[in-house]
Amino acid sequence: MNKFKTQEVTIVDSPYKDPGKTKWSVKEKLLLGLTPQQYVAQALRNPFNWLLAIIFAVGLPIVAGRFLFGLSWVTDSSYDYPWGLFLGFGLFTMVPLSSSGFQLGTAVEIFGRHDLKPIERLALLNGLLGYFFAVCYLLVDLGQPWRLPYPMMFAFGPAAVLFLVAWHVATYLSVQITEVSVSFFEWIGFPMGKQAVRKITLGLTVAGIILSTLHQGALGALFTYAPGKVHPLWYSASFQWLHFFVSSMPAGLCMVIVVGSIVKKTMAWRCDDNFMKNVDKLSITLARGVCMGLATYLTIKLIGVAHDNKWGYLASGWGLWYLFEIGVGVILPLVLTSYAVRNNKVGLVRFSALLTIFGLVLNRFNTALITFNWKLDEWFIPHWREVVITVTIFAIYIVAYRFILYRLPILYTWKTADEPVHVAEPIKESATYVTG
Amino acid sequence: MHVVRNWLIRGVVVIVLTMVPADSRAQNMPDSVDLDSLVQLYEKVRFDHAKHIGLSKDCGVCHHHTTGMPTEDANCIRCHKNSAATAVVACKACHSAQPFSAETIKKNKSNIKNYHKDAPGLKGAYHQGCGGCHARDGGPTGCQDCHPRKKSGDAFYHAGEYAPKTPKNGKSGGR
Amino acid sequence: MKRRNFLKACMICGASTTLGISRNAWGGVSFEGYPERMGVLVDLTRCVGCRSCEAACNKEQQLPAPSAPFDDLSVFDKKRRPTEEAYTVVNRYEATKAGGPVYRKIQCNHCNEPACLSSCLVNAYTKTQEGAVIYNPKVCIGCRACMVACPFNIPGYSYSSAFNPLVKKCIFCYDTRLKNGKPPACVEICPQETLTFGHLNDLIKIGHERIRDMPDKYIDHIYGEKEVGGTGWIYLSGVPFDKVGFDTTLGNEPIISNVKEFLGLIPMVLAIWPALFTGFHLLSTRNNNDPSKQGDSRSYQEDAKP
Repeated sequence: MNKFKTQEVTIVDSPYKDPGKTKWSVKEKLLLGLTPQQYVAQALRNPFNWLLAIIFAVGLPIVAGRFLFGLSWVTDSSYDYPWGLFLGFGLFTMVPLSSSGFQLGTAVEIFGRHDLKPIERLALLNGLLGYFFAVCYLLVDLGQPWRLPYPMMFAFGPAAVLFLVAWHVATYLSVQITEVSVSFFEWIGFPMGKQAVRKITLGLTVAGIILSTLHQGALGALFTYAPGKVHPLWYSASFQWLHFFVSSMPAGLCMVIVVGSIVKKTMAWRCDDNFMKNVDKLSITLARGVCMGLATYLTIKLIGVAHDNKWGYLASGWGLWYLFEIGVGVILPLVLTSYAVRNNKVGLVRFSALLTIFGLVLNRFNTALITFNWKLDEWFIPHWREVVITVTIFAIYIVAYRFILYRLPILYTWKTADEPVHVAEPIKESATYVTG
Repeated sequence: MHVVRNWLIRGVVVIVLTMVPADSRAQNMPDSVDLDSLVQLYEKVRFDHAKHIGLSKDCGVCHHHTTGMPTEDANCIRCHKNSAATAVVACKACHSAQPFSAETIKKNKSNIKNYHKDAPGLKGAYHQGCGGCHARDGGPTGCQDCHPRKKSGDAFYHAGEYAPKTPKNGKSGGR
Repeated sequence: MKRRNFLKACMICGASTTLGISRNAWGGVSFEGYPERMGVLVDLTRCVGCRSCEAACNKEQQLPAPSAPFDDLSVFDKKRRPTEEAYTVVNRYEATKAGGPVYRKIQCNHCNEPACLSSCLVNAYTKTQEGAVIYNPKVCIGCRACMVACPFNIPGYSYSSAFNPLVKKCIFCYDTRLKNGKPPACVEICPQETLTFGHLNDLIKIGHERIRDMPDKYIDHIYGEKEVGGTGWIYLSGVPFDKVGFDTTLGNEPIISNVKEFLGLIPMVLAIWPALFTGFHLLSTRNNNDPSKQGDSRSYQEDAKP
């Protein structure tokens, strides 16, 4: 695409091809204003697409096979480990990583931090796609996925935390789709839709934060059904839901930082000045939030250990593993991020964002898979097909992410004659930073 | 003369009769008993009663106090020190073949005078009763030692000719 | 000015969180169980490992043929657990006390307040009046939360079925027997009467009577009388329970007790968050109704966390 940019090919970023005259058709919009040949050419040139092609060639038949031959074909059919990678990664990890939606939405709409607007839409999209694909992973994992609407419609088990998760994820997805639909309506040329959504944005955002608080916490509360099965250092009878809720917040912010960095590097042609000028500075702003989130999380994790007097467990193999997770996944990024924020080092912010995400992933894997059944002799080792399917669906997630970022006005501002283009003034224009 | 002879005969008869041991004076003491409550699955058990009498001498080991012989078990003496013989001494008279049917449970519950609410049923009484001494004194302890399986029993246990041909990667107790 | 608002908001937040958490709910009711519920007393001093119960269950529940005959005792070399094809299994434990190995029958314990039932989002489980915990295959979506929740690791799942995989576990022979007052197949077949069937309240009394009559024979504890809120299948043993594979760390609270704190929080969050965050919005954005200041409602303080 960079090639096209240098060739001065017009890429869709407004409703009109020629200013004020012909409008882009939907098909042209989908092809980014390129001819089909140009579009295919750029796709084939991209080496990442070759990797994706391999993944899909291997993975898609296996995904199909899961539905044709049943779960026993793709998992080890374990009765002691009923939940594997599909839920361990797809649900327990992807959902907290997608918490950016409610966080940035709240920051901008509730607290009025309009300086964060350049990355707000990216954060909302990150949230939406994460949840959407979490549901996809769930559909792959459920024994009878066609019955997914049952808890919504006929069979209610309200005492079950999963009931809350089901309802909240469904409701929250709707909220997020509505929030992201603003970009979609801009792109498709339906300003009335956009106006309608803008009117209810405050309500949507408040709904979003209610739902997110509860279901991020609920994913943690799920493990309170199995108190003896999760290792005591990762389990807290009183605070499991808080641990999951609080840890989701720095993780979601770090996802925005990381994705922002990735798109800045790989999709610079798509980003407008508004985004490019602000993304580094806003990464640092988000990093402040990450610091506070990590510091709080560290504190409540230690409170959790102290509350049930579990210090003794630290002197064991599992204890060392716990210290590793806290050390590399929480303390190290906390220290690095604080230093980076103070010294305006965006590169370091990005690196420690990756560390934070690693820490979150490790914590969820530890709770759901690795320390689960710590009293039994058997470890959880996923079936190779399970790994392939997990990777394939994640690849689809990336493709969907990229597809939307290429087209919808998320990284760039849609130029229309109806609305003035609002460019957020960078607060510190004279700031210098070390870019990564 | 005839009078004396008659009295002599009566006297001899009385003496002979008193010399006969007491327990053989009981009515209907079988030498062998057929236990056939499990005939759906097993051949009936040909229980050698006479042999066990010889082995044990004490009827109370199996029949508690029901034959009239006083019991010596410390637990039982509390109430049964002077308990008499009962009309029927066969196991199945008191030990129900269906101890857990709805009727038996209801009967048990409503009979407030019954102290022995934990009495085993017939099958339990046989196995618990016989098993202890057999294990100790070298009697038969395997299931088929006392009652070989019938074909229906083989089918039930998926054994013998009904055994699985090739051991499949089954889930009869997996991870 | 902003700092003051921020502190105000924190205080509101802090005060409202104290409303949500209730540790000792004195108003809570404890469920003693349906009064007529049946149960089974399993006396491990009697079991000889003949596996007749496994065979009976297999026949009664029309389970697939096993991989080894039911009189094959070599299966005891490995510890087994219930699966989709075997709702009950017997394991052998070499106990420390002289007297030979101890055998334990494992099956669904039909808890008073079952974890599986509490964790099911489609209400697929029911605790019947007769005491059985049964499963409705028509609504199950296959999330397998019940398998995670069960502290005894009982439910199996028919992963091998592509189009109708279901949870498989002992149902106390409810459909074919318990509903009509009859004992389950395993109880009926057991030659040693290891399994005693009756009203659970009576069985607990009988269990304690056995311990009282023969204190040298039994450990003075009925496993399942109190554990995880009480179970329908209770155990007597001659050797310590943890030596024969029982989890003795479970505690007496039903599993749902661990979750109640969070569950209680949910309606509080639903009720408090709207006002709380609308409050934050009103506190932190100023001059919303002043058109001249529209679009200028950004914070001047960058230190505050959003």
